[in-house]
Amino acid sequence: MSEATAPVALPVGDDARPVFPDGTAAAAGFACCHVCRKLAPPQLEDCPRCGAHLHVRKPESLQRTAALLATAAVLYIPANVFPIMTTTQLGVAEPSTILGGVVLLMEHGSWAVASIIFVASVLVPIGKLMSLTWLCYSVWSVHPTSHYERTVLYRVTEWVGRWSMTDVFVVAILVALIQLRGVMQIEAGPAAIAFGAVVILTMLAAEAFDPRLIWDQLYTEGDLQEEMLG
Amino acid sequence: MADEPTDAPEPEEPAPNPSRSEPTAAAAPARVRQRRRISRVWLIPIVAVLLGAWMVVTALRDRGPEISIVFPSAEGIEAGETKIRVLNVEVGVVEQVRLVGDLESVVVTARLDKDATRLLREDTQFWVVTARIGTRGISGLGTLLYGGYIELAPGTGRRGRRSFVGLAEPPVTPAGAPGLHLTLQSDRAGSIGTGDPILYKSYPVGRIESARFDPETQQMQYRAFIEAPYDELVTSVTRFWNTSGISLELSADGIQIDTGSLESMIFGGVAMGLPEGMKPGDPVTPGETFALYNDYASVLARPYRFSKEYVVRFGESVRGVRPGAPVEYRGIPVGHVERLLIEELAKEGLHGESTEIPLLIRLEPGRLELSDSERGLDRIAQVIENGVSNGLRATLETGNLITGSQYVAIDFHETAPEASMGRFAGRPTIPTSPSGLAGIQQQIVTLLEQLNELPLEGAVVEATDTLEALRTLVGSRDVQELPGSVEATLADLRAALSSVSAGSPLQQQLGTAVNELDQTLVSLRSLLETLESQPNALLFNRRLSADPRPPAGLGGP
Repeated sequence: MSEATAPVALPVGDDARPVFPDGTAAAAGFACCHVCRKLAPPQLEDCPRCGAHLHVRKPESLQRTAALLATAAVLYIPANVFPIMTTTQLGVAEPSTILGGVVLLMEHGSWAVASIIFVASVLVPIGKLMSLTWLCYSVWSVHPTSHYERTVLYRVTEWVGRWSMTDVFVVAILVALIQLRGVMQIEAGPAAIAFGAVVILTMLAAEAFDPRLIWDQLYTEGDLQEEMLG
Repeated sequence: MADEPTDAPEPEEPAPNPSRSEPTAAAAPARVRQRRRISRVWLIPIVAVLLGAWMVVTALRDRGPEISIVFPSAEGIEAGETKIRVLNVEVGVVEQVRLVGDLESVVVTARLDKDATRLLREDTQFWVVTARIGTRGISGLGTLLYGGYIELAPGTGRRGRRSFVGLAEPPVTPAGAPGLHLTLQSDRAGSIGTGDPILYKSYPVGRIESARFDPETQQMQYRAFIEAPYDELVTSVTRFWNTSGISLELSADGIQIDTGSLESMIFGGVAMGLPEGMKPGDPVTPGETFALYNDYASVLARPYRFSKEYVVRFGESVRGVRPGAPVEYRGIPVGHVERLLIEELAKEGLHGESTEIPLLIRLEPGRLELSDSERGLDRIAQVIENGVSNGLRATLETGNLITGSQYVAIDFHETAPEASMGRFAGRPTIPTSPSGLAGIQQQIVTLLEQLNELPLEGAVVEATDTLEALRTLVGSRDVQELPGSVEATLADLRAALSSVSAGSPLQQQLGTAVNELDQTLVSLRSLLETLESQPNALLFNRRLSADPRPPAGLGGP
């Protein structure tokens, strides 16, 4: 039996059990198996159809999301400080970081590539980190933002996350193709690993977040008032 | 299914419970699992942070020393790019290049590997390796392709130095190489430059490390390095001379061409050695200063290093005395004239008849077989002092009548008045006497004065009178008759002589008489001989009987 962490202001019943809003499957006493999607009572512990572990909400969702986001944030620092790739031309080695590469491309006039790299490697990871952090916080503190908007935000975040790997692929392809030792040679730097880890961790963090928690907060103070008022 | 009560904040399954279609959990007891407040997933970021911190700490700990090098310019040096190498092994990288405040130089900040720390010593040298074309060939061409780098040459001094001054050019000799460092001084730049060889008997034994002109002393200062084991050849009497190019000597014996090595012929070089006939001297301390002579002839002319200064003041003209003129003792060179002390003379003023012209001379103890050292200077000072009290004086003598050059002679003058050594312009003085030529001049002047005082007028008048009387005498009659009577006498004499001349009767008579006398003497001689053998011949007969002899057999006992 693992439930979502009890939000602070969620109304609890007389026996201190969390009350899921009406109309949710959880309120109706169903848990959805995350493997085969069968509805079953959560007391069963294991899905009667496929045997996977049953839980009403993703276990330790907020904690996991927060932890993975923290790790991704920590790793984002070396990803930007260390060079992501080193270009060696006639013996002269020139390392470049993510931002350094973007600037270099802009100076070379390749505005399109530069903007793609900038979006994929700077905007998207930072955006993901920020949005997921905010979503966690909003669930944890029962922030009265529109549930619908938050859900949309989550969907966008989860979908766009994978495109951050573009930069890693670029580096991988360049390293694989340009290996004319002595004339021109490209090697991946330590930031490539760190950045790849950042992207994967944010993807895992998005995966760990349970968006149903947003809708579990239908019973905010305002909603209660509304309901009570009728 | 029974709900097990758990901790208070733990939520339980919802109360409304639809009927289940599968009777599964009825038999199995519910598992109780204590849920942690804090999920284990937090280990991930914690581990990540710890790893990161450990990497940072390790990187900081394994970071090598940071050094700063001052270069005259940042040519070939790029921040973050330029490497520092030792024997072509990379040991560090340049981090930062900054201008020094007075825009005279740049400061390069570099970080070396940790195990290169022991290479940083007091005399570690840094220089930028770029392509160079010099007298010793082309070097560093690889840097045109692969970029320049900074070479580090570790020294042998104390460790721990972190700020250095980079060299503008690669050092001629590696720091710490065994050998002897000396300073050579010359008043002519000649053709000696950095890197030129030092030759001993035409064999290279060292190099000139640096050449610098010092405007204060107006001298060229060279730093020379003699490599071991040839540094033992250098002693206190070793001479260094410029042997660049070719030296050509034309003399009665023919042409003599002298060169050093090919390198010194084209690029210049310094030769070292002992002048002819000199004995090796004392060992040399590193850094000692030697004079660099312009050629071997100068070495022979001034083969001694130590000399004592004296001042001699002459009351006569010093025209013809040139710097370098010899100072001789009875014909033996003991030193040379250094120069005229003009400033001191000007100070005293050109007034009065007591102004003496001061000359600075140098006496070299080496020439007198006293040692060419400080000891020799003391000895020569003693010798001069003793000599002066015994009449040693300096005079000016003519060296060459045609050119009029003069030299200083030091000699004992018995007739010199008493004098002692004094001091002038900070140096001891040797008392002087008027020179030989000046003496002659003096004597001539005296003679002329005496001549002047002679009563010539009276003498002339007397002579005239005498001549007058003589003429009268000659004109008188007696004198004129004199030749006639003389002739008559001569005629008589001639007649008398003819009677005794050869063939005259007188002579014949004489001859006959002499012959007779001769015969008489012959007979007289025989008489005398008889008398000699038999003194009683005058009385007895001349014949002698033999001595009686007893007959044989007769008599006997």
